[in-house]
Amino acid sequence: MIKQNYLININKTKKPFIIYKSEKGFDLYTNFSKKIILTNKNIKNFINKTTKFNRKKKDTNLFIGFFGYEILNNLIGIKLPKQKGLKFPKGIFYKPEKKIKLANKLNYITSQKKLDTSNFKININKKSYKKIFNKFKKKIKLGETYQIKICTKYNNKSKIDPLDFFCRLSKSNLAPEAFLIKDKNFSIISCSPENLITKKGNFISTKPIAGTLKKTKNINKKKALNFFKKNIKETKEHNMIVDMERSDLSRICIPGTVKIIKKKIIEEYKDLFHYVSLVGGKLKKKTKTLDIIKAMMPGGSVIGCPKISTLNLLNSQERENRNIYTGSFGYIKFNGDMRFNIIIRAILNYKNYSEISVASGVVIDSNPKHEFNENYIKAKALMDLYK
Amino acid sequence: MIYIIDHKDSFTQNVVHQFSNFDNVECDNFDKINQKKLERSNVIVFSPGPGSPKDYPISSRIYKKYKGKKKIVGICLGFQQILYNEKGKIIEQKKIYHGYQSKVKVTSNHSLFKKNKIFKVGRYHSLKLKEPFDSKNFKITMRCDISNIAMAIENNKDKIYGFQFHPESFLTENGNILIKKILST
Repeated sequence: MIKQNYLININKTKKPFIIYKSEKGFDLYTNFSKKIILTNKNIKNFINKTTKFNRKKKDTNLFIGFFGYEILNNLIGIKLPKQKGLKFPKGIFYKPEKKIKLANKLNYITSQKKLDTSNFKININKKSYKKIFNKFKKKIKLGETYQIKICTKYNNKSKIDPLDFFCRLSKSNLAPEAFLIKDKNFSIISCSPENLITKKGNFISTKPIAGTLKKTKNINKKKALNFFKKNIKETKEHNMIVDMERSDLSRICIPGTVKIIKKKIIEEYKDLFHYVSLVGGKLKKKTKTLDIIKAMMPGGSVIGCPKISTLNLLNSQERENRNIYTGSFGYIKFNGDMRFNIIIRAILNYKNYSEISVASGVVIDSNPKHEFNENYIKAKALMDLYK
Repeated sequence: MIYIIDHKDSFTQNVVHQFSNFDNVECDNFDKINQKKLERSNVIVFSPGPGSPKDYPISSRIYKKYKGKKKIVGICLGFQQILYNEKGKIIEQKKIYHGYQSKVKVTSNHSLFKKNKIFKVGRYHSLKLKEPFDSKNFKITMRCDISNIAMAIENNKDKIYGFQFHPESFLTENGNILIKKILST
């Protein structure tokens, strides 16, 4: 009960805080002694320094925060054309001085009486989506990309209580990589299901998801597995991601150590099934944190394949900055261990302006109408929070 | 030493790890070739990659320069790179194979591999070789069991080998054995 009050109190104080899903519940980080806003100039220095602090085992000896999409592109030498957008920071990390464990059940009732919000607008309509879609399909036929994910955005003006949003979201979907950042002029609320990096000592793993199925009364885990196995399109997409993640890991791992630990299994969540693989390996000696981030980010499963040419194609087409979307949130401990997710299924609220980005894949046999609607379904789960 | 020329692909590091089972491997992007490493190597590998062989004139020049002098291996785009430089035509295909597992059959007597052997392989290709293809000392030695598309070439005189499929993919059975055999010949 004390902890429940704690949530209400911390929200009242307007102190910045972060909540990140843990194995058994949630971890709340606060009392930030440092806040680093990332730029192309300071990012390398920041990453290199994270492991140069004292290595005393303390559970707040870490930096927690996010890398946006653009800065991760820049880090691997890919430049983006000028884009429209919110002018939101490219990445922010915090040094917490306090960590509190919370249970899975987050009880919080907002004091905000009425939600002040306008209708959502989409940045690409069905017609222009189809146009981009067909353009990319041509590129696939020419072999320039094998799979590419078009991002669409929904946005509105809204004053929200992010903690309320996060608690309601967690009730309907307890995602393994869910997180909330609440700071003075922005918040990020996400129910990301996807882990991109788990690094402990010299072992590293990634857990790509390719394939999602909504739960109904008639589908159990076994039936879900059969569905994916029989679905050639989903299987091909999944295979491609697994080979790509093996390759990304191979860049930083000792030859012969990269293994598919779990191959195409079903993970069951409250509302859906995910088609998941787990790939891991043993890091080469002297691999730096920066090497790991450059090898793995931005996460392949939300970009397409091959990564570099696909990123270039995407960037030449997208007129609006992706901001946090398909970036990564997580932490780097002072001892070099780290955990990062892929930022998807997320709301960015910045200066009372909300945006929700979604994407789905174009492969040779996908259909624009289906993918456009798929995007809408993904966004709707988050837009419903505004009701 | 094996020198792998990377066409900025997302599968190349799998190729690096696979070849590392058998010898020291160095790998650089095609636009950042290290001349010393290239000279020092005894095997050159052209990696998979996006696009078509005509997009990579540097790789074509390397192929022509070292043909017959060093062992050359091409995978996917690299396979097409070899064929393109042997006057083969690389064209779009109706059905596209990305992340596809299919059966391949050894169809030639002149192969390092046993004729009629069938095995499963992983494929990631939009383009294919236009046939008929006829080039001195080159033999098409494997084909897709269903579509009959050319899946491997061998030139045992100049020691040039190419696979349209991906021996390094987790979808390919016994990929390591394939590579071991062409490296030890």
